[in-house]
Amino acid sequence: MHKVIIPVGPQHPALKEPENFMITLSGEKILKFSARLGYNHRGIEKACEERTYIQDVYLTERICGICSHSHSTCFVQAVEEIAALEVPKRALYIRTLVAELERVHSHLLWLGVAGHEVGFDTLLMYTWRDREVVMDILAMLTGNRVNYGINTIGGVRRDITPEQSKEVAKATNTLEERTKYYIQIATKETTLIKRLSGVGVLSHDDAIRLGAVGPTARASSVDRDVRRDDPYAAYGELKFKVITDNHNDVYGRTLVRMGELMESYSMIRQLLKNMPEGPIAVKAPRKIPAGEAVSRYEAPRGEDVHYVKSNGSEKPERVKVRAPTLANIQTVAKMLEDRQLADLPIVIAAIDPCFSCTDRLTVIKEAGVRKNKVMSWEDLHDYSIGWYRERGIDFAGLNKKLTRMLK
Amino acid sequence: MLIALFNILIFPGFIFLTLFGWIAEYIDRKLCARLQNRMGPPWFQPFADFVKLVSKEEIIPEEANPTMFKLMPVLALTATVTAFFYIPLWGKSALFAFNGDLIVVLYLLTIPTLTYFLGGWYSTSLYSKIGAVRSLTQLFAYEVPLLLSILAPALLANTWSLSEMAAFYGTHHWYWLFNLLGFAISIIALLGKLEKVPFDIPEAETEIVAGTFTEYSGRLLGLFRLSIDIEAIVGSALLAAVFMPFGLGLPPVVGFALFILKVLFIICLLSILRTVFARLRIDQMMTFCWKYVSPFAFLQLLINLVLKGIIVK
Amino acid sequence: MTEENIKDALIKKFSLPEGKVRIQRKRRMSAEVDRLKFKDVFEYAITELKFVILCTITGLDEGSNLSFIYHLSTEDGIVLNLKISVPKENPAIKTIIGYFPAADIYEREVMDLLGAKVEGLPPGNRYPLMDEWPKDAYPLRKDWKQNKTKEQEAKNA
Repeated sequence: MHKVIIPVGPQHPALKEPENFMITLSGEKILKFSARLGYNHRGIEKACEERTYIQDVYLTERICGICSHSHSTCFVQAVEEIAALEVPKRALYIRTLVAELERVHSHLLWLGVAGHEVGFDTLLMYTWRDREVVMDILAMLTGNRVNYGINTIGGVRRDITPEQSKEVAKATNTLEERTKYYIQIATKETTLIKRLSGVGVLSHDDAIRLGAVGPTARASSVDRDVRRDDPYAAYGELKFKVITDNHNDVYGRTLVRMGELMESYSMIRQLLKNMPEGPIAVKAPRKIPAGEAVSRYEAPRGEDVHYVKSNGSEKPERVKVRAPTLANIQTVAKMLEDRQLADLPIVIAAIDPCFSCTDRLTVIKEAGVRKNKVMSWEDLHDYSIGWYRERGIDFAGLNKKLTRMLK
Repeated sequence: MLIALFNILIFPGFIFLTLFGWIAEYIDRKLCARLQNRMGPPWFQPFADFVKLVSKEEIIPEEANPTMFKLMPVLALTATVTAFFYIPLWGKSALFAFNGDLIVVLYLLTIPTLTYFLGGWYSTSLYSKIGAVRSLTQLFAYEVPLLLSILAPALLANTWSLSEMAAFYGTHHWYWLFNLLGFAISIIALLGKLEKVPFDIPEAETEIVAGTFTEYSGRLLGLFRLSIDIEAIVGSALLAAVFMPFGLGLPPVVGFALFILKVLFIICLLSILRTVFARLRIDQMMTFCWKYVSPFAFLQLLINLVLKGIIVK
Repeated sequence: MTEENIKDALIKKFSLPEGKVRIQRKRRMSAEVDRLKFKDVFEYAITELKFVILCTITGLDEGSNLSFIYHLSTEDGIVLNLKISVPKENPAIKTIIGYFPAADIYEREVMDLLGAKVEGLPPGNRYPLMDEWPKDAYPLRKDWKQNKTKEQEAKNA
């Protein structure tokens, strides 16, 4: 069979966010994979430079819809380090609590998406229903289901009451029980295992060489976790295991995430039990003294890095964000070597990609090269055909080939 | 003549099949939804979907061959409806019967898959083409076990006619119990034929959008959807006739109710199966069908051959 | 290896001035090196000091210079911010994909957003700006303004 190039994205049912992958196929086999990132560029890094620090906290929170707390905490930590603020212990504990709850919701979400990608919609429905439990808890603690807005420079904005902590403990028990059930499904359901194991193999050496982070790396037995290696917030005082696995494949990544869920529940219990009394925030100056700081954070998807440079004014000089997906997306090409088309969605999904975090800045208007213009339906149609034609996909050519074959 | 026309167009023909198809689709969707902890659609949803599709604009790709593109849904629908007339429903004989109609029914039921292939191929979209090739590949995997497992009961009855089979099992009451293995195999094969999870590979949403049907819209898609619904009924009716030939020859109303129950039982079985599995890969499906399902189909054939030698004389 | 050891090793090996290598806090260090020495320091940090993780590359616009910070980390969580400066007229840096293949995307990012010239980087898709983006517009440079490219400014003037 001759080679065909099929586009996956920017709009495709397997991708919930716009990103483009070009896959060269021979029959069902993948010969070449290339990614074109950048569709979600929203200009956040540049926008941060034009806003005050406190506005930036909320802006960075909007980098990602799922790990929103990760980005805002990471940013806030960097600013606090520059301003040499002593953040109260209770604030750190609350931050960590929200962080772990966020990890729980993100991993449950991932499990559902993974189920959907391999056509196991029942798993999607089940996990997403249980995810509602943790979403409700987050809404109760912070007031929002996503973009919690709990962080502020110097602490957190909301305290946690004893009643709330009881609710959290109760929800944790429910979730733990459900997670045990999912572990059972993931390790026993034959068709699921068939679709996951041996798929998307990333060897230990490749994981290190290509700089994989988070569960993707840990499933290739790379024992790295910022929570333990470079403790921040309250992680230095918590007891937890870093889950690793040596399956090196999607199945391993599933097991790692399930294991991390169980660790998260134990951490949440420790946090609730040892929550110190005291204030929840210190007053932060409006102008942050000149300096620079790097902040690292173990987001559900992997290591999140923020670099903040201040110049003594109320606005930062530079904010740089490295989202975990950017580090992981480069391993996908390796994972897809010699695999089949059917494995593509789950392999991409297995790194738990979050393209919105990865592409942070674009300008909504075209940068003055052309005037903004309205495109009609026909214009859009022609534009899209031209766009694909430039990339070697020509439907007209296909038809000619077909007619020739039939003659 | 008038009665024949009534039979073909209204009952038990096209109109009846359409309504029953919608009811079955509703039950399938509702059951699946309840199993997945969802609410599921209201009872008129399949009908509403059909009306919506029929009233929508029809877009035919510029590069596609319009004749073939339009012809395929109609062909699929015709083939499935035709096949239904040769299947005995509650009486001991079908509407039309001749020796060898079993083979005709099986071939008529293959035509929809062929139309998916041609429809996908002629719509010239990349996703459609991959879906088309996949549906044809899949055909080779499930068709052999299906044929063999249906052949076995026919062998026992010593006939190629579905109506004569019904008559045979009507007099030899408990013989259908010998065919249970074949029933299990044909259920698996039917899942493949109807392209349901775990064999919905040709229309795997997350890989190739909607496979064959990617470029179809409006009335044509509506017809395809309808033909899939009817195919589910016809396939289940065939299985019911071959593997559950009990209670035939009862008074019409009771017999009709029993027929409906049998078909719905199979529909529910398919629905449960599609809820508890993940989608397989095409290579995994091929191995599964050739390595495990086909040998068991042969085993059923062997059992029936031996039985025929020993008991049925 | 502690932060102090690393600091001493760096200063001794490359005879860097005292103020150029700093310990900001526990597990955070920064070093500024001359761009000609960069390759040696970088290699030394990776092989001898075991900074085996590349977190990211940050580009900065510092007036007449562009600076690039390579955030390196050890397995124990010590982060070294290795900074080099290049003149804005010719912002050329050497690629590090020989050491970290994953750096490819970070280098493309500084190319697109700050206009760095990365020597030795094989051609590939640009990231993260769109293909139609004008050649000389680098959004993260301080003189860049939305809707105004150099072309346009020249036209207006």
